[in-house]
Amino acid sequence: MIAHILTAFALFGVADDKIVVEAGRIITQSGPDIVDGVIVIEDGRITEIGPADDVDKPWDAPVIGGPDYTAMPGFVEAHTSRGLDRPNESLDVAPFLDVRDSIDPVAFYFEDCLRWGITTVNVQQGNNCIIGARGMIVRPVGLTVEEMMVRPQHGLKLSASPKSGKSRSTQAQGMRRAFDELRRYLEDLVQQKKDGDDFARREALHQGRDLEGEKAEGREMGGTAWKVDGLDMVPRGEIDEKQEPLLELIEGRYNAYFYCSSPMDVPRALEIARDNGFLAKTTLVLHERCWKAADLIAEAGVPVVLDGDQMHIERDPLTGKEIETFVPGVFKDKGIRFALSSDNTDTHSLWFQASLAIGFGLDAKTAMDAVTQTPAEILGLGKEVGSLEEGKLGNVVLFSGDPMSITSWVEHVVIEGEEVYDRSKDVRNTHLLEGTKPPGSTSAEDAEEAAKKEADDEDDED
Amino acid sequence: MLGVALAASGLVLAPLSFNNPGFAEGESLLIRAERVIVRPGVELENQSILVQDGVIVAIGEGLAPPDGAREINGAVVCAGFVDPWSALGLDAGAARDSSASAATRSADGVDRWSHAHHLEDALRAGVTSLRVQGGGGAVISGYGSMMRVDPSLGGDDALLLDAANMGATIGLPRGGRTRDIFDRVSEVDRLIGQIESGRKYRESAVEYKYELEEWQKEIEEKEKELEKDFKKAKKDREKDKEKAEEKGKEFKEKKYKEDKKPRKPKYDEDSEAMARVADGEVPLVVQSHRYEELRSLLEKTESYDRLRVLVAGGTEALLHADELQARGVPVIVWPNPMGPARGDEYDGHELSLAASLDEAGVEVLIGSGGSDTSRELRFLAALAVSHGLDPDAALNAITLGAANAFDVGDRIGSVERGKDADLLVLDGDPLDTTARIRFVVSQGRVVVEH
Repeated sequence: MIAHILTAFALFGVADDKIVVEAGRIITQSGPDIVDGVIVIEDGRITEIGPADDVDKPWDAPVIGGPDYTAMPGFVEAHTSRGLDRPNESLDVAPFLDVRDSIDPVAFYFEDCLRWGITTVNVQQGNNCIIGARGMIVRPVGLTVEEMMVRPQHGLKLSASPKSGKSRSTQAQGMRRAFDELRRYLEDLVQQKKDGDDFARREALHQGRDLEGEKAEGREMGGTAWKVDGLDMVPRGEIDEKQEPLLELIEGRYNAYFYCSSPMDVPRALEIARDNGFLAKTTLVLHERCWKAADLIAEAGVPVVLDGDQMHIERDPLTGKEIETFVPGVFKDKGIRFALSSDNTDTHSLWFQASLAIGFGLDAKTAMDAVTQTPAEILGLGKEVGSLEEGKLGNVVLFSGDPMSITSWVEHVVIEGEEVYDRSKDVRNTHLLEGTKPPGSTSAEDAEEAAKKEADDEDDED
Repeated sequence: MLGVALAASGLVLAPLSFNNPGFAEGESLLIRAERVIVRPGVELENQSILVQDGVIVAIGEGLAPPDGAREINGAVVCAGFVDPWSALGLDAGAARDSSASAATRSADGVDRWSHAHHLEDALRAGVTSLRVQGGGGAVISGYGSMMRVDPSLGGDDALLLDAANMGATIGLPRGGRTRDIFDRVSEVDRLIGQIESGRKYRESAVEYKYELEEWQKEIEEKEKELEKDFKKAKKDREKDKEKAEEKGKEFKEKKYKEDKKPRKPKYDEDSEAMARVADGEVPLVVQSHRYEELRSLLEKTESYDRLRVLVAGGTEALLHADELQARGVPVIVWPNPMGPARGDEYDGHELSLAASLDEAGVEVLIGSGGSDTSRELRFLAALAVSHGLDPDAALNAITLGAANAFDVGDRIGSVERGKDADLLVLDGDPLDTTARIRFVVSQGRVVVEH
């Protein structure tokens, strides 16, 4: 059952709020940069964006930013399993579970997201599964999961790489079995219904009464791959809720996030997605070595999320020579849409990932798209987030300078018109930069005094 | 740029492409040879072999090459080698897998990306096809597959036969620990238990089919009858209703009874797979070495007359030679040049084993022992010959015999019209290990040439 809850795009009940964001440079991502620009956000959405001279600023709106800042669309994390109380399930096949029940709103990760300018996060179950729970798209603010919610029941996690205790053979067997069991279950369900109807007809004949025509209200099976005929005889409510999410996956109602840790997993993942008709809804989540299967991915036309490192290093088994491959470069050359992820071994901001890719030789536009527009499209939020345009959500990050410069900071983050991060008030960050101070102290001098006092106390004890 | 290649260019490995159709479509090849080994023991002199679209279309004297055909001249031609016992190309986890069950497919564990260089080596050594078996850590290892070696083929294109056999391992050390005799023999019972449940599973499926047909017939007749009597039944009902009303009683519908529909047996993929084994649709390869478990295995499988058993390893199989011969159970021998190198596994370290079994009338196949060293296959066969095995039997053991044992003998294993053109062109006899392999042809494509 998918409750298509259209989220109210306003935070904390502030419905008719306005805010004006000013920046010396606005990187819109979808069009040319704007010098000395202004963004007006009303009711959570951008109502106007352009050079300061062309935009009518509402007189009653608070203003943040200024000529020293650079504005960017908020970054979009295409896939992560962080922020979950427990990322992995012990069950092999559990599409009936929901990460909603596992998201921890006070996880450090979400706090870090704001520091990193990430404003949209796709949270999916961990990769250690065969078919995992339903995921959810959230924004990293709010004290409850409901407040964080952007899209509930978004996506299912599948893995072509072996869950612990399995091999690649038994993993593939488990994937096929899940869909095979669903087909058999539905066929049995339809058969039971038919048998029941037949019996009722004979009973009526025997009793000499006319059969009252009660048509069961079901829906025919959707999707393009395989069908169980006669499913319209079965009301959807009678379908086991443990089986239902997979049926809906086949019917094209979920995005699939398919994890592959080795190139050999890629053909298997594509086969399962093709055979069950959800290839068009599939995004591959890839370890870096999977670039070797790039031709297959390009042929299948699916987008990918790079879960591993950007540089794949291996030793040639015969010559011992070290071979380095810049993975995003391969995907770009093959025309594969890819999103970068901060969920890898050098866990850092998406903004760092993009800079790293540029350092390795990727062009800046593709690199920045890979952390904004491309993931937005993968998540089906292409019209909502990923760039700064009129009508899109007011998710803006203000940098202290050029976003690709190592000396720039995220100074302010605005999510749907609400300022949710201000670096000057970031206590942890201040502590990190200015040293640890005793609780309750307010300035560096206080700290020094307190330290002195402590030292004195120790002397007294001696 | 940090001195880094943007795209993958430096790889020495053969690039893999899944668009490759696998055979040389529209291409033809004419091979002239002084000596053609059609099959072990059958030879022809000064013949030409014409290959089109990957298949041998003609063998004869002085065949004319078609337009655009590639021509190759050589001394000896024989069929490409077939390794009946290999794990080459398998992902390490799948090869050692202890989570496998009967329905597990070895083909799912094939990682041709990581093993391209091993495949290339095997191909250069004349091995064009092999049987891969995963699930080495489980008593029932699942389906083994016949695969083509040609590394340019993608996983599924390389599949010759997906379910070539069912694998089992009996009495091998598990988790590095040796086993006592009871432990080892009890694994035979587990295997037999699975075969028996497969047999019963199929039996109940057949029973269900007949019971269902019978029931359907019965119900059909009943329905006709009911329809015929419906008008009468309707009148009776009206009457009964009136009567009930007159008496002020509640009207009750007549009870309807019919025979219950037979219950469909619950589907079970493992039982389904073992049913195929019990029925002889797929052969059962039991990797086992010692006298006791082999004796138990032979005893307990005797009553299954459709079961096709092969023994892999069989270090002490000679003690059962008479029965193996009488029951037609082939033994896949690994003449391991290292001796009993893997400790307790009792690999066929007695290099005369193949010869002794052959002499006793047992069919012998030779394999590389379920590892990734298929490239040694020709040397292993030669080693067996040097320890007394008849050369024709040795060649059979790595070509037609191996192909026949796993039901691909109609496609590969010999040089005959209509078969896939998996051919070797050599400077001398295939078992003379100093004779160079000049050309390897796989499905009509020249994949190796020197």
